[in-house]
Amino acid sequence: MRAGLAAGGGLVLGGLLPGCSDGGKAPEGAAVLTDTPRRGGTVRFGVIEGGQAGNLDAHKPVGSGAFRGWALYAKLWEWGLDARPKLALAEETEVNADATEWTIRLHKGLEFHHGKTITADDVIFSLLRLTDPQLASPYAGYLYSLLRNDVKKLDERTVRIPFEKGAGLVALAECWMSWGGIVPTDYDPVSNVVGAGPYRLKSFTPGQRSVFTRFDNYFKAGQPYFDQVEILDFSDQTGRLQALQAGQIDIAPNLPFEQLAFLQADPRFEVVASETDVWHSFDMNLEKAPFDDPRVRRAFRLIADRDELVARVLQGQGRVANDLYSPSDPAFNHDIPQRRQDLAEATRLLKEAGHGNGLDVELVTAGGAGANAALVFAQQAKKAGVNVTVTKVDGSIFTGPKRNDWTFSTGGSVSRPFLLTVQQHDGPRAVGNKTHFKDPRFAELITQALGQPDLDKRRALIGEAQRIQHESGGMLIWGYSNVLDAVSKDIGGVTPDRTGFAGWRTDRIWRRSLTA
Amino acid sequence: MSSVPLNAGAPSPASAGPLATLKALRGRLPAWLPWFVGRLLSGIGVVLVISFIVFGATQALPSDPARIILGPEAPEHTVDTLRRQLGLDRPLVLQYADWAQQVLSGNLGRSIDSSVPVGELMAGRFANSLTLTLAVAAVAFPLALVLGIFMALRRDSLADRAVLSSVVLFKAVPGFVIGICLVMIFSTSVFSILPAASLLDPSLPAWRQPQYLVLPTATLALSVATYLLRLVRASMIEAMDSEYVTAARLRGVPERRIIWRHAVPNALIPAIQGVAMTFRVLFGGAVLAEVIFSYPGIGNTLNAAIEMRDLPLIQGIVLVITVGVVVINLAADLITVLLTPRLRTATRIRARSPGLRNAASLWRTGKSWRVSV
Amino acid sequence: MSAHASSLRTVLSARQVRFGLVLTLAVVGFALFGPLFAPHAHTDLVGITYGRPTAGAPLGYDYIGHDVWSRVLAGGVSVVWMSLAAAAIALAAGTALGLLAAFARRRVDQAIVWFTDVFMAFPDLILVLLIVSMLGRDHWIIVLTVAVAFAPGVVRLSRGIALGVVNQEFVEAAEMMGYPRSRILFREILPSILTPLLVHLGIMLTWAVGMLSGLAFLGYGVAPPAADWGLMINENRAGLLIQPAAVFGPVLLIALFALGTNLLAEGVGRVTSRIEERKS
Repeated sequence: MRAGLAAGGGLVLGGLLPGCSDGGKAPEGAAVLTDTPRRGGTVRFGVIEGGQAGNLDAHKPVGSGAFRGWALYAKLWEWGLDARPKLALAEETEVNADATEWTIRLHKGLEFHHGKTITADDVIFSLLRLTDPQLASPYAGYLYSLLRNDVKKLDERTVRIPFEKGAGLVALAECWMSWGGIVPTDYDPVSNVVGAGPYRLKSFTPGQRSVFTRFDNYFKAGQPYFDQVEILDFSDQTGRLQALQAGQIDIAPNLPFEQLAFLQADPRFEVVASETDVWHSFDMNLEKAPFDDPRVRRAFRLIADRDELVARVLQGQGRVANDLYSPSDPAFNHDIPQRRQDLAEATRLLKEAGHGNGLDVELVTAGGAGANAALVFAQQAKKAGVNVTVTKVDGSIFTGPKRNDWTFSTGGSVSRPFLLTVQQHDGPRAVGNKTHFKDPRFAELITQALGQPDLDKRRALIGEAQRIQHESGGMLIWGYSNVLDAVSKDIGGVTPDRTGFAGWRTDRIWRRSLTA
Repeated sequence: MSSVPLNAGAPSPASAGPLATLKALRGRLPAWLPWFVGRLLSGIGVVLVISFIVFGATQALPSDPARIILGPEAPEHTVDTLRRQLGLDRPLVLQYADWAQQVLSGNLGRSIDSSVPVGELMAGRFANSLTLTLAVAAVAFPLALVLGIFMALRRDSLADRAVLSSVVLFKAVPGFVIGICLVMIFSTSVFSILPAASLLDPSLPAWRQPQYLVLPTATLALSVATYLLRLVRASMIEAMDSEYVTAARLRGVPERRIIWRHAVPNALIPAIQGVAMTFRVLFGGAVLAEVIFSYPGIGNTLNAAIEMRDLPLIQGIVLVITVGVVVINLAADLITVLLTPRLRTATRIRARSPGLRNAASLWRTGKSWRVSV
Repeated sequence: MSAHASSLRTVLSARQVRFGLVLTLAVVGFALFGPLFAPHAHTDLVGITYGRPTAGAPLGYDYIGHDVWSRVLAGGVSVVWMSLAAAAIALAAGTALGLLAAFARRRVDQAIVWFTDVFMAFPDLILVLLIVSMLGRDHWIIVLTVAVAFAPGVVRLSRGIALGVVNQEFVEAAEMMGYPRSRILFREILPSILTPLLVHLGIMLTWAVGMLSGLAFLGYGVAPPAADWGLMINENRAGLLIQPAAVFGPVLLIALFALGTNLLAEGVGRVTSRIEERKS
């Protein structure tokens, strides 16, 4: 079925894009579930996205727009449960030998919400729209080497997408599965919101509620199950918790950790904990004192009691990290020994660096788990004679124009493969390089890895790069957290999910109490 | 002792040009008209200045709307593009001129966050806030009036004292604390009979969904009614002690008629200012209650807009709130003037806001406004 | 002077005033001396998240494992000094402007009154939110902002009273006799506005407690790891049902403080107006 060309692609690309070769298996979910899905009913999600009302744009989702996108839009690849790309609207994909050209063929007979057949023109339109500089999508940057003018339609269902030679491998599937909703050529994000996702838009009141109805010609046969999906925007965590308790919503995705104990005590709900690569860090700015001294960075990494951080901040819902991100990446270097708290060594290093009489540092944070982590770390640092002052600023200031200038700040990001994460955080072309880590050898290794299709060779490159990060990088990555989704026991089909999107998959959940 | 109960205000400065013309017309026009026109002009000035202050303030807010919208993953050039598209790179004065011109032609611009027209976005939220305000008014005003008059008539009785001391409690405890307690009692911990979050269905008007209005209304009514109650009680006591009531009693007018025909109407005039104050508070200050109940009102929207640096939305909301406040104040003052015979027929109204100070004093001390020697 | 002393005695003899005073002083004392008795530092992580009350921790532990009792003891100082400072600054600045307006008349008076109009049309909370998001959340910024929100009311009040006095014959006579204005101000005007202003101070104190804790509740006030009663309510709200003591402790203290200041202000207001009536 889905083998053929795609298997070739998977082989060539190895670990970076392995999910493409997901051939011929039964539709995921069916085997895992204990109950049989039934059609009908309504499900209500309660989502929180700061104060942001968000939009419906497929390619520039802001705020809870990303969440709505999961219901509205279908993509060429989608997130598999293992957090790797899995073919969706695409039937086959192929990459040429030097990784400069992708050929993608659509399934036959796919339809948009308004009945139009999905063709190669729509795929090209969607790709060009995503990367249109005038659209100013924050995610266009991941396709930095796309040759926009040379994208070519081969036939009604096939498209060829060329990339600049020598610019390195581009994670097209990873980028596409997140932000590449396929939309028709007459698409408009406000007046003609049409996609091919499991649900079609019924109404959208920004910052309040959006309602969707089932799309009967969804590309997965028999799915989705609900007649109607409602996504409700909340601005207050406690307000959402109370709404859940009072039965006003069925699913609360991305529960804050401190609410866990409370929901576990309530028999009406289940907290689905998905083990993920979501990582939490303290970012040290290498260009500013005292972190321009590698001994201080090393000392700080030895001060952290990672077990306590995981226990207190994540309520035990997570794992200790070794100052490195993307542990699920097949190229991840598991041979580097885990760093543990060593106050004696930390004190010695600080003394050597000239901070024997104590050291004052300001730790900037914005709130949420990061703020709690900062408080815990400040207590731990006291034991090594370091006085950490925690300063909480508004989220809009924390991630605002000064976001890369903090001396010491909390950080972290979502589950993504190594090469995507490095491009965002500390790689040679990173947008958000808060640590200002610029190691020539590291940059060289990353550039080589980006152009290396062979997994074993890439593993060697990334392994060495990670040693450098572990030795002299600016991030103190202390833990990986689980993503918690609070789900009413009446809802079936929400299962732990490596992506952290367990509570977002509107197309595979149903209501248990419905009578057949 | 010289007692100046109502218009102890400033002697107005010598009339300016336009006022002089009005003075010439005084023969034919009601005496309060020049005062009213002056107040109207000053009100328009207030709205203008506030719109300018808010514009300046929102521009001075640290951070950058374009960056917040696009998130930390966006490269700098993408943020620049958006900034240009939103016109944020142009000089402040030009931006303000454009905005003001738009507003005058009835267009409040588009929300940066959701790209929905600000007018459309606000209409729904203001309708929700107005519904909540009216619901609070419908509960709090009759309650305050009836209880206030009742307590004034039974002054210093056990019931009066009991109500007064419990009222002090509600007045002192911050409103959001009352809200949290109500949620615990009625929706989560003790009973679960009312929804904890007011998840209004936007396709229906708020008044058609009364179950969501109960708790926010109760929270706000409890904090607001206490002020009004004390005001009504104090002014009623004063009315009952006044010379004309004594005179009426001497003339043998039945007590019931004295209360309802003479005392109550006079006692209610200060309450007009109290009502205006309540509306002002509810109009702009229900943010805490809205946050606790996730009520989609204007306070919540403004709070989110400030967080998002959604400039057109902030400006639109503040503009409407300011106009609302100015209109409410003006209406309260005008009604006070028209209902107070002495002011209605005065040759010249000297106080800017007749009645306001008296009401404030009744609140604070339970006594009318007096200047003692 | 003796007249003042005797009215002070009268004021203190009222039951409500005494009760309000005792309550206020008790909470202030608790806030000021509490930190000395705290078993742990307010930042120490000593227990499990939302741990139930035990013998060593009478109020249990909070959202991250702080001892709630220690934080309650430490968390009053900021509430007390910030609300006192905000009310006092509003009083001082507002009175100064109000007296200036009353004395200067004409243009200056018009300008001041008009600006109070502008600020009064600005809903308090919006003003504070704008300023705090603009300038940050340092304690003194929050205090100044709340003071700015309250000052126009004081300007109105003091100007009104001062005008009443300024217009009276003896002031005009004094002016004609060439007494310096400052003498008129301190001898004649200040004493007569002192009582209403003190009453207003008490009321502003209650408002300030509500506003500051409300701000902390919205996330715009005092920031963690500082201990502050308003902040603690917000921090531990999620655990309300499993560890209610972490919320109710601070709620109770805020309520008592607000209640005390309110009773005090009202009592003083009521008694002084009774004294004045008797005098006339």
